[in-house]
Amino acid sequence: MRRLLDRAAWFARRQPLGAAGAVLVTLLVVAALFAPGLAPHGPKETAFAPYLPPSAEFPMGTDHLGRDVLSRVVWGARLSLYVGLASVLVGITLGALWGAVAAYLGGSADTASQRVVDSLMALPPIVLALALMAALGQSVTNVIIALTLLLTPTAARTVRAVALGVKEHPFVEAARAAGCTRGRIIARHILPNCLATYIVLVTTNVSYAIVVEAALSFLGVGAPPDEPSWGGMLTAGTQAMEQAPWLIVFPGLAISLAVFGLNLLGDAIRDLADPRLRGGLG
Amino acid sequence: MRPSRILVLLLAMLSGGGPALPGAAQEQPRRGGVLTWFDYGDPGRLDVHSESPLGVQQATAGIYSGLLHRDPDDPTRIAPDLAERYTTSPDGRTYIFHLRRNVKWHDGQPFTSADVKASFDRILRPDFKSPKCGAVLKRIVASVEAVDAHTVQFQLKAPVPYFAEAVASAWCRVAARHVLEKYGDLNRPEAQIGTGPFRFKRYERGSVIEWERNPDYFVPGLPYLDGVKQYILVGGATQLAAAKAGRVMLWDTWPPMRKTQADELKAARGDQVHVYRHPINTIFVLYMNATRPPFDNPDLRRAVMLAIDRQELVQKGLEGAGVPCAVLDPKLVGDFALPLAEVETMPGCRQPKDQDVAEARRLVEKHHPGGLDIEIAFRQVGNYADRAQLVVAQLRRIGIRGTLKAYESAAGYAIYGKGDFTMIATQDRAMDSTDPGDVFAFVYARDAGSNYARWSDPGVDELVARAAQETDRERRRRMYHDLQRMILGGAPGAVPIAWVEGWFFVDRRVKNYKPAPTVYDNNTFMKVWLSE
Repeated sequence: MRRLLDRAAWFARRQPLGAAGAVLVTLLVVAALFAPGLAPHGPKETAFAPYLPPSAEFPMGTDHLGRDVLSRVVWGARLSLYVGLASVLVGITLGALWGAVAAYLGGSADTASQRVVDSLMALPPIVLALALMAALGQSVTNVIIALTLLLTPTAARTVRAVALGVKEHPFVEAARAAGCTRGRIIARHILPNCLATYIVLVTTNVSYAIVVEAALSFLGVGAPPDEPSWGGMLTAGTQAMEQAPWLIVFPGLAISLAVFGLNLLGDAIRDLADPRLRGGLG
Repeated sequence: MRPSRILVLLLAMLSGGGPALPGAAQEQPRRGGVLTWFDYGDPGRLDVHSESPLGVQQATAGIYSGLLHRDPDDPTRIAPDLAERYTTSPDGRTYIFHLRRNVKWHDGQPFTSADVKASFDRILRPDFKSPKCGAVLKRIVASVEAVDAHTVQFQLKAPVPYFAEAVASAWCRVAARHVLEKYGDLNRPEAQIGTGPFRFKRYERGSVIEWERNPDYFVPGLPYLDGVKQYILVGGATQLAAAKAGRVMLWDTWPPMRKTQADELKAARGDQVHVYRHPINTIFVLYMNATRPPFDNPDLRRAVMLAIDRQELVQKGLEGAGVPCAVLDPKLVGDFALPLAEVETMPGCRQPKDQDVAEARRLVEKHHPGGLDIEIAFRQVGNYADRAQLVVAQLRRIGIRGTLKAYESAAGYAIYGKGDFTMIATQDRAMDSTDPGDVFAFVYARDAGSNYARWSDPGVDELVARAAQETDRERRRRMYHDLQRMILGGAPGAVPIAWVEGWFFVDRRVKNYKPAPTVYDNNTFMKVWLSE
């Protein structure tokens, strides 16, 4: 325990902004994990009077349908983190595999795969996400699928660049000379040496995924309207911005703090994981 | 001429209705200016005979005239339009309309009885889809004949008390025969050639629709306005922003403003606008598909009927602007509606809900011990998403776990029409007239145009048909009371949630605007003028 505290203190001294981010992210994770215990009411429970301003009973007020805003913000953390982590882990992992394999194989396979990446990256991300949601339909799972498709080409392009350098190292040549198969070389030598980049991609893109999910829900194509999505809460709040500003202030604040915290932490991890990448990815 | 006694009764019943708006009777109308308002969506197709969205009506209202119409000075009354008068035979089966002379189409061609016959023959053609005018008239009109160039005769299958009001519907406009022959339909902007107070000037898809004054309009001196500009504004926030900025001069369309929006507008524009609350002759319905599980089971339909808290839906979904539970609204149809005091004591409508929710839960558990999961559809228009969320929350209390599925407006209608759904959380159905039979003919009868539930009950069908043809008012009233009790006490496919009301506004510069008893009527602006 003491050792853990010492490491935390070292991290805070070395990366004070990263430590602040870690605090915010910890709050987000705690809210997400313990939402059923932390939220005073069910996120879909419409049992209260609508438009109650913040008070001791309802610290963040109630929304237009009589739901407790605090409970929805807390449950919203779970939804945001779930969507963010699931889409990023799947999307970045698939992209990393794609990039590493393409880089190692090289030749026409690499060229063809990069043209596919070019095609996907040519479209503005939000437009692509909207089109995917229109095709797939409105659900949390489909938001994850759409985000995965957005993140995969970015990860493929980034990891390929790193893998191209790794594959020229002598240890790869040695492995090949020793008769290792392509799969083994990629799995045991290329991918482990791309791990720093992978970690940076994951940490920096969780916040991006949360923002895109909120944007899709704000536009009415993300999570179904009764799900406690921060973006969806913002949309509903715009209907009565002047009379009930708490409907947009609290979910807006939640998105800002979550994204701010994840970005600070992501930057710090990037700097620690690979100082050469400082400012290079994002 | 013998004016219809029922019509007189109906008019007497309706007189005094409608909100008090700034009058202009004592002021001298001013000519000129362009009135601006909005449509909640792009109409796309413009054929007033074959389409049904409100947007189509709004886009074309001022272009056409009808044989009769709602009086612009008092929209609760039916008044002559292209017909200067009509007579009824003693048996009530024959109506003869005497047409105005010297009326010209917007392209200069003369208007004659051949145009009336061509229009109504088209509407009444069995293979022609006419969900509004045709849906009503096909049931009652046997034939339409041109007696001479300025006289038209309608032969009815049986006498009905609401024929004049049905013909006066804004969906029963008269189109030019030569235009129908040339274009085949009325969908294109260039086919918008009418005899109305305005000519069709411009239609930019998704943006704006414009009319300009018809200098040859058959009522001398009208219209007062140079034109009307209708912006296509999608989404409540955009519509409210336009109202607050003074870009639109009135809001008398669907969806109405919610109270919070009305308060925001009043705060922004103060006494520059007159804000009022008004019923819109529209029923808010929840549909269950009675042809597929689980709602092919009457027990489960009854469970939903009992569990849905209409009062909460009105309070939160409509911000209090509605009449919960009623199958007919006494404000609109008088004593044809069951007294609300009786309605509010019926199972499913009474408060508190504990007893009904317990019974509903028992019915669900009887067939689905662990509860059941269903998909609940709604169209992404107005505040349907809010209402749908309330429905999901209420059904959860009885073990029905709903997952919401949103549809774009037109896609939703297509799905509903095909019956490809389990439940529709919310759908507003506007009535075409103030006849008490409308809601049964449109929602509850087996062949009703909006019977998306595909539910039928032979007893209800028989009574709907009989009541529609009953000319004795008292007997008709009793029949409609029986129908309302059958629906509220049974397990229909459509749960009547509420009659919708809402808040609207008129800019103080707009004079002589009179909202009609249906959202479709009196949108021609022929007598509206601007004070500055």
